[in-house]
Amino acid sequence: MRVATDVGGTFTDLVFFDETGPDAGVIHTVKTDTTPPDFDLGVMDAVLKARLAPDCIGFFAHGTTAIINALTERNGAVVGLITTKGFRDIVEIARGNRPDFFNLRYLKPPPFVPRYLRREVPGRLNFKGEELTPIDLSPIPGIVASFREHGVEAVAICLLHSYANTTHEEAVLEAVCREWPEVSVIASHQIIRSWREYERCNTAILSAYVQPTTDRYLSRLESRLSGAGFNGRIFIMQSNGGVENIEAARKTPITLVESGPASGVLGAAALGRLIGEKNIIALDIGGTTAKCSLIENGNVHVNTSYAIERDRFHPGYPLLVSVVDIVEIGNGGGSIVWADEDHRLHVGPQSAGAVPGPVAYRRGGNKPTTTDANLFLGRINPDFLHGGEIKADMAGVQAAFYRLGGELGISCSEAARGVVRIANNNMINALKLVSLNRGYDPRDFTLLAFGGGGGMHAAMLAVELAVPRVIVPVNSGVFSAWGMLMSDLRRDYVQTYLTILTRDSIRKINQMVESMERMAIEALVSEGISRGGIQLQRMSNIRYYGQEHSVTVALPAGTLDESCLEEIVSRFKSIYEREYSYRLDNEVEFVGVHLTAFGAVGKSMPQPMPLTDASPRLALKGKRSVDFDVFGIHQADIYDRDKLQPGMRFNGAAVIEDAGSTILVLPDQLAKIDAYRNIHIATGNADSGSGGPR
Amino acid sequence: VNVKAAHDPISTEIVRNSLQAICDEMFLAMRKTAMSPIIYEVLDYGVAITDAHGNLTSSGAGLPGFIGMLDKSVRFIVEKFARTGKVRPEDIFMTNDPYNGGVTHLNDVCLILPVFAEGELVAWTANMAHWNDIGGIAPGSASTDAVEIFQEAVQFPGIKLFDEGKPNEAVLEIIRGNSRLPDQMIGDMWAGIAAIRIGKQRMEGLIEKFGAGLVRAAMAGYLDYGESVARRALKTLPKGVFSATDVLDDGRVLKVAIEITDSNFLVDLDECPDQDSGPYNLSIDGSLTAVELLFKCITSPSTVCNGGTFRPVRLKCRQRSIFNAQRPAAQGMYYEAFIRLFDVLWKALAPAIPTMTSAGHFGSICATIIGGLHPETGRHYNFIEPELGGWGAGQGIDGSSAQFSAFHGDTYICPVEINEARNGLLVDQICLNPLPGGEGTYRGGRGVQIDYRPLARKAWVTVAFTRSRTPPWGLNGGRDGSVNYIEVLRKNGAVERYGSASGMELGLGDVVRITTGNGGGYGDPRLRPIEAVMRDVENELLTRDRADEVYDLSRRM
Repeated sequence: MRVATDVGGTFTDLVFFDETGPDAGVIHTVKTDTTPPDFDLGVMDAVLKARLAPDCIGFFAHGTTAIINALTERNGAVVGLITTKGFRDIVEIARGNRPDFFNLRYLKPPPFVPRYLRREVPGRLNFKGEELTPIDLSPIPGIVASFREHGVEAVAICLLHSYANTTHEEAVLEAVCREWPEVSVIASHQIIRSWREYERCNTAILSAYVQPTTDRYLSRLESRLSGAGFNGRIFIMQSNGGVENIEAARKTPITLVESGPASGVLGAAALGRLIGEKNIIALDIGGTTAKCSLIENGNVHVNTSYAIERDRFHPGYPLLVSVVDIVEIGNGGGSIVWADEDHRLHVGPQSAGAVPGPVAYRRGGNKPTTTDANLFLGRINPDFLHGGEIKADMAGVQAAFYRLGGELGISCSEAARGVVRIANNNMINALKLVSLNRGYDPRDFTLLAFGGGGGMHAAMLAVELAVPRVIVPVNSGVFSAWGMLMSDLRRDYVQTYLTILTRDSIRKINQMVESMERMAIEALVSEGISRGGIQLQRMSNIRYYGQEHSVTVALPAGTLDESCLEEIVSRFKSIYEREYSYRLDNEVEFVGVHLTAFGAVGKSMPQPMPLTDASPRLALKGKRSVDFDVFGIHQADIYDRDKLQPGMRFNGAAVIEDAGSTILVLPDQLAKIDAYRNIHIATGNADSGSGGPR
Repeated sequence: VNVKAAHDPISTEIVRNSLQAICDEMFLAMRKTAMSPIIYEVLDYGVAITDAHGNLTSSGAGLPGFIGMLDKSVRFIVEKFARTGKVRPEDIFMTNDPYNGGVTHLNDVCLILPVFAEGELVAWTANMAHWNDIGGIAPGSASTDAVEIFQEAVQFPGIKLFDEGKPNEAVLEIIRGNSRLPDQMIGDMWAGIAAIRIGKQRMEGLIEKFGAGLVRAAMAGYLDYGESVARRALKTLPKGVFSATDVLDDGRVLKVAIEITDSNFLVDLDECPDQDSGPYNLSIDGSLTAVELLFKCITSPSTVCNGGTFRPVRLKCRQRSIFNAQRPAAQGMYYEAFIRLFDVLWKALAPAIPTMTSAGHFGSICATIIGGLHPETGRHYNFIEPELGGWGAGQGIDGSSAQFSAFHGDTYICPVEINEARNGLLVDQICLNPLPGGEGTYRGGRGVQIDYRPLARKAWVTVAFTRSRTPPWGLNGGRDGSVNYIEVLRKNGAVERYGSASGMELGLGDVVRITTGNGGGYGDPRLRPIEAVMRDVENELLTRDRADEVYDLSRRM
């Protein structure tokens, strides 16, 4: 039995399937309430509700928003910092940027550690990792005593140039543990060996900040499960799109910061593998936000320039951890529609949430939302909200759009169409950020849409972006949890190593890469993963000499020698040209390696069902007048999603409904159901014919 | 999908949103491809889209000052070339001459590309960036000793760099031939071209989808919208004449007056000093930009900013003054004139508009240029960086510490680890400025102290700090802040202090210590809550003695 649990802000989702037996591969889902601060209770509720026998569970994956919540709600530990002499103010100075730049009363975000808890030790390395001054541990006992006195609960250590040489940090780490064995402590090199002292230091501090609570919560989860008879293995979903065993996750909990969204993207990649789609734009539309991410040739894009609380006006707090590259915007089903003083229409980023909710929900919401616009246009069935649990207040919705149209000087239908068009345009801009802006042609991709609102908007977005196919997966409402079921163990190792690419340096790069790979393999093998189940991916960051920003280039397999040099440089130049439109003859500089190790943790795939030639009429519920904006108003066929069988196909205009979501098929588009009951929509756009990403 | 027919407010809104999205993309393209830290880290560059006449519809900039500059450059090209029909698709125009549409100093090179639809000029995409070295008497094309613009760098007084897509190789050769860093300059040129070309492509996509008519109408309507937002905010401001004076480090006095009426924002700089004999001058275009920036800050800081925003602004400034310098006045250090002008205008309005302002900040770019030989590679390095300093306190808020000046925005300080690798010097420390100053009910933010230690011979330092004598101004009873300066800590123990230095030699073992000012305080210090004073003491940002002296701590406890 494989089980995945996803702790969200409101609900805890549980997804499971049997690996053997008559029911093998059939996905079952359960939803329970999330139970902060004891998230483990909600998880156990879900296990109970699913009537799972814990002793039959071999694989238990767990994703959680607890870490990001602890950060944004500021309820983590009191942290003390130990850093290099002369640099305790680095985290307060930060990078000095002021994105809100017309604001003469700008407030800089305060560091997570106040100045009096930031302490220094003498000892200095240079940028090559050579020791200039030996580390002096004599201040440590005094620092620890003072930390205890001030109620410090976790210690972060970050020394200058530790990415190049970890010995000083290791010495301080050891000294702190000796002096104060029970304290939670983390050194920056344990998370990442990448330069930029502010970012690395902040990463160590934020990891320390969430460490004690995460540790308590995960050990409680572990003991509750084993108390109930579970004797399988627990894996925790990380931000990088892979799982990690629970012991390692407890040591560096900051790697779990975007656990939830990452698993949705991972699910998209896994589904792609299952059905043979290698190039995917994953789109997750929820109540408050839309998130998108690009999967190229089966690979999830991961970057290390993540930050929390960063937006157009705030610099946020950077975290040097590997996070699936996701663009998120404040547009979802619950996004509130408003007109400003100049009668300009806006959608979001404020959301009506569950309460007061959209106007139609009769929970006190009086501002129209995207969902209300879709109801007004006939796209959502007013009699089937939440499977008919809620009877939509259509009079209220009509009144709201009448008012809005009055403010804008247009008809109420035009206002409702406008809302959807603006919401779609916001999403299009986000989708372009992950595709066109990075040099990828959307015509080479399939749009995979999930979350409550994915199917509602996908067909229209695909037309606009000229994407040839849309897929709305089965279980699209619990897709993140499904993604965890499909995941491998994943570890990212990032090492900064600056050198001009030459015949000499390529040998040194080879030495470094090989030793990193050896270390990664040894660690996984020692944890019981078979050598055959380990896959390595070696990427590098390369730039023209003099530049700051680099592009990611895959390194050739095997020993890197002189003969690879030309290959690497030519790969770099063509990737660079694709993104920025020109080549230079300048020297090429190597910046570092990003090694990823995947360990197979015994997954098995859902099984295909036989295709039928049954008529889609069996699933037809009726007809309804639906406004498809520029595609006209049509009497659309309404299908019951639960009755759609593998192999069925039909043309739009159509609407597919189930209790939790609505899927639009535009006029003349073709929908078909695959062997896993995913819905494929051919959008009528030709693909580019190039057969893959340019 | 044919949405061309849909001339409705929704399509118009989508075009407007796209104009900003395109600028964001242009901005990012340049940042990622640039060769010089002054572009990719300091973000000393901007991008813009204007309509066919050079009216700014949207922009992206690391420096707020750059927001309102590019329209002036485009308008110069419109006058010089478009009026006479000399603009063809794929032409790229170039100017850096402050007296010919270049606005600032010669380092800031503008690249400008037309966008056509069906043979008609619809828009321009433009880019202005600080090119690190394009000749002149000093490395970095910046010298405090320059007395004429001819000494500062090569001048491109509005020329065609590309003719229908083909580069003018002669100009490229001239750039290479005059720069001390030719590869960097050509790389930065291509980065700028990547930005304006991406902008042009996206504009063409927009026109293809919505039609040139709608795009033109949307741009015009957007400018009117910018104006209406600004005028509405103007109505809420106090009316009258507001004036202020400030003293430059050499003793000359700046004197400004601002008249706010229901419909206009009029700035009078006639009483400011004569143009400088050195490079601390601003062109009239540059001064107008400083005025526009302040207008934006106090009217609508977080909303739309385009050419319409600035329609209520009027500037009066006599010729041959420091803020309306005439050729051949040097302009290399224009940014210090810019920030001091901005600061004194801010000072004039702060008492009347406390909810949109704060007390004076460290008020200088504190540009620091350090050069020398990299001890590892033997290559010559030379880096230019603005410094972080303290911001003033305001009604209800302590000032922020260690921020770039108001001239800068989303600029990033170079990490110590990268700086040491790139330049081969050592940073001995970087900390908050512990010196007194800026106390108040709300206290000013802290400046910084940075110690640079070159590790090879032939190192030198150039600085051009202002406010090294007159501290940042306190507001409403708050104390003044502290001043900006550098010290050279010689190996033999001698300490020299400077506000300005040009190419000063540094021996092995010498250390340059940069100290930037603490921002001004707001309100009477004796009204500051005791726990806030104690917190500053605990954080070692305030000595107990100073707390007694200024905050009257012992008596109040």
